[in-house]
Amino acid sequence: MIVQTALLIGVVLFSVLAIALRDVLRSAISLAAASLLLGIVFFKMNAPYAGVFEISVVAGLITVLFILTIALTKAGDEVRESRLVNWVFPLVFVAFVAVDALVMKSLLGKVPALAAAAESGTFGEVLWKGRTFDLVGQIAVILAGVFAVLALFRKREKHD
Amino acid sequence: MIILFVALPLVVAAVLPLVGKVSRRVLPDLLANATLVFLLVYAAVTGRALIAGGPLLQQVTWLGEAVNIRLALDGFSLFMLVAVSLVGLAASLFAIDYMEHYGGKANYHALYLIMIAGMNGLVLVNDLFGVYLFLEVAAIASYALVAFGLGHDELEAAFKYLALSAVASAFVLAGIAVIFGMTGSLDFRAVAAALREIDAGAAVAIASALFLMGFGLKAALVPFHAWLPDAHPSAPAPISAVLSGLLIKVSGVYAMTRIFLNVFGLTPALSAVLMVLGAVSIVVAAFLALGQKDMKRMLAYSSISQVGYVVLGIGLGTPLGIAGGLFHLFNHALAKGLLFLTSGSVQHATGTRDLDEMGGLAKRMPVTAAANLVGALSIAGVPPLNGFWSKLIIIIALVQAGEPVFAVIAVLASVLTLWYYLLMQRKAFFGPLNEKWAAVKEAPFWMTASTVLLALLCLGIGILFASTVATWVQPAADVLADGVQAVTGSWGF
Amino acid sequence: MTNTWYLYVFFAAALVFAGLLGLLGKRNLIKLLIAIEVIGKGVSLLLLSTGFAKGHILTAQALVITFIVVEVSLIATALALIINVYRHTKSLDVRNLAKLKG
Repeated sequence: MIVQTALLIGVVLFSVLAIALRDVLRSAISLAAASLLLGIVFFKMNAPYAGVFEISVVAGLITVLFILTIALTKAGDEVRESRLVNWVFPLVFVAFVAVDALVMKSLLGKVPALAAAAESGTFGEVLWKGRTFDLVGQIAVILAGVFAVLALFRKREKHD
Repeated sequence: MIILFVALPLVVAAVLPLVGKVSRRVLPDLLANATLVFLLVYAAVTGRALIAGGPLLQQVTWLGEAVNIRLALDGFSLFMLVAVSLVGLAASLFAIDYMEHYGGKANYHALYLIMIAGMNGLVLVNDLFGVYLFLEVAAIASYALVAFGLGHDELEAAFKYLALSAVASAFVLAGIAVIFGMTGSLDFRAVAAALREIDAGAAVAIASALFLMGFGLKAALVPFHAWLPDAHPSAPAPISAVLSGLLIKVSGVYAMTRIFLNVFGLTPALSAVLMVLGAVSIVVAAFLALGQKDMKRMLAYSSISQVGYVVLGIGLGTPLGIAGGLFHLFNHALAKGLLFLTSGSVQHATGTRDLDEMGGLAKRMPVTAAANLVGALSIAGVPPLNGFWSKLIIIIALVQAGEPVFAVIAVLASVLTLWYYLLMQRKAFFGPLNEKWAAVKEAPFWMTASTVLLALLCLGIGILFASTVATWVQPAADVLADGVQAVTGSWGF
Repeated sequence: MTNTWYLYVFFAAALVFAGLLGLLGKRNLIKLLIAIEVIGKGVSLLLLSTGFAKGHILTAQALVITFIVVEVSLIATALALIINVYRHTKSLDVRNLAKLKG
């Protein structure tokens, strides 16, 4: 549990860094680091498939997409962030974390839950047989993304 | 096979780019619209027969072998399917002419069909996560469709819409996680049954709050409405029609209603919250619509206001209130779809959306003007159009349930609505013809045809409201009025 | 719910809140997207830890995997939008996207 907590602190830290850092490229890499740590957290929760997905897709593929976009939009670093925001937000965040901790402590044991029946089957069975319609949904969402990108990058014959 | 509602548009969408290489316009137009016609006929004709004996639970089979996809069709989902197919078809016909100068028609139709598939899927699933998933399918398609023109305004609107929508989805998922944690299951029946067993007041309240924020954002209820007045006007007219007419209702109102009424059960507290949110949306949005010069922006604010009526009616929880709310959902889908399409016709002809620049267009575009008038009167609630009846039912339900304050608000806002719609009609269509528009022509065939179709429907449903309510609205309202019984009782697999 | 669940929820809430703050305060479009990503991390952590606490880790994994697929589609679309915005305004500043009044 100690290791898990340390990893989780790392995830939050790198995520906050990803949002706060000035250089967008470093932000993207920080996000990748956060995803990597989160993947390890998933592994330690006996969720290897989710862990693999988190590492290869979120830390891998999505980071690549971000870096690609950063490369294509070179002027990105010139966006000056608001100074006020840079000071106020860390404070607000720390305040929230404190409130969060207090709320969680007070909620301990208060959320009622039914005793759950044990899960049966392997992961493959649960995914393919238990959540089959989700797979149709996944196909749909992938199609949506593909066509969205195609539509947004299509050749325009004339400009409106 | 009710999975066709999802599978058919998806398959056609997947094939469309290839078809588009062969034939730029004709075949994609034909395929897309044929698909929607098929879905409409299937829903309207076979659908009713299918649920005649009660909710239909269908196990999908693939090549003879049973696949673990079970779809449930009851009065409420069928009602939504018909609405989606109807307005979806009208907007798609409109797009045949309207989307000509945008380029990439095959791509447009493909995204459009995916959005329809997403909405249909949302309405047919019976577990919480499925609701989220198909909501996202429709949403992602809609982001690209809003931005389809690739102009500055469209991109800006699409990006803001995307950002807010992503937050909404996160809230919905958080609510799902809480429910999953409490009950250990995701499908409606199991969750409803489990929630009966646990005494889970506060935790359900948290989940309800999360769902309210998430779906409220999707439905653009005040105070979650800020994205809509930017997103809907900037999108191409047929997309505005579908977003205002369908998407906010399917991914916002339907999802919220299905979960709150059939899975959680409508508690007095929840009812009160919904009614207040509805009433606030009605009033605030009506006032905001007043000052608008941009035709489509005014329509967008009006959508927020009318969705308020729907939520008010359904939130009341009485059978009459629910029926009124659902009927208004349907009528608004038709009428607002119609109005966005006619605004598209106007924009196509004049190149502007600014009401102050228009004037006297009725002389040059009589059909569009007439259709627009029908739509405007319908939403304003003028008899004998359909909007009048649904608003009346809601108001009567409010009075009968002992909520005179809400009833008065509904009536007064209705007067306000009539006012700004007549203003719009006068500025754009009546009055002296602005010289700039002396040479404009009536809109092309498919654009006028689709608006006339919707206008006739508004008129027809207004005249035949009794039978429309009895055949389509009542079964849906009954399902909702049954509350949790509808799901725990007859959906046993 | 087991006590460890509350620990995980604590972190998930922190992540979601950090992302929300980022969305509210940052101006660079790509940063806004990173903020959305962070919210996504929080949500997937919440889903998975809930499944873990219930012993339904397999279902939770299926949900999280589907969620990640949705995320990829979303990010791809959003990045396509951003690149188009950049082509128009030659900048990634969200303040350039202030023409519409909302």
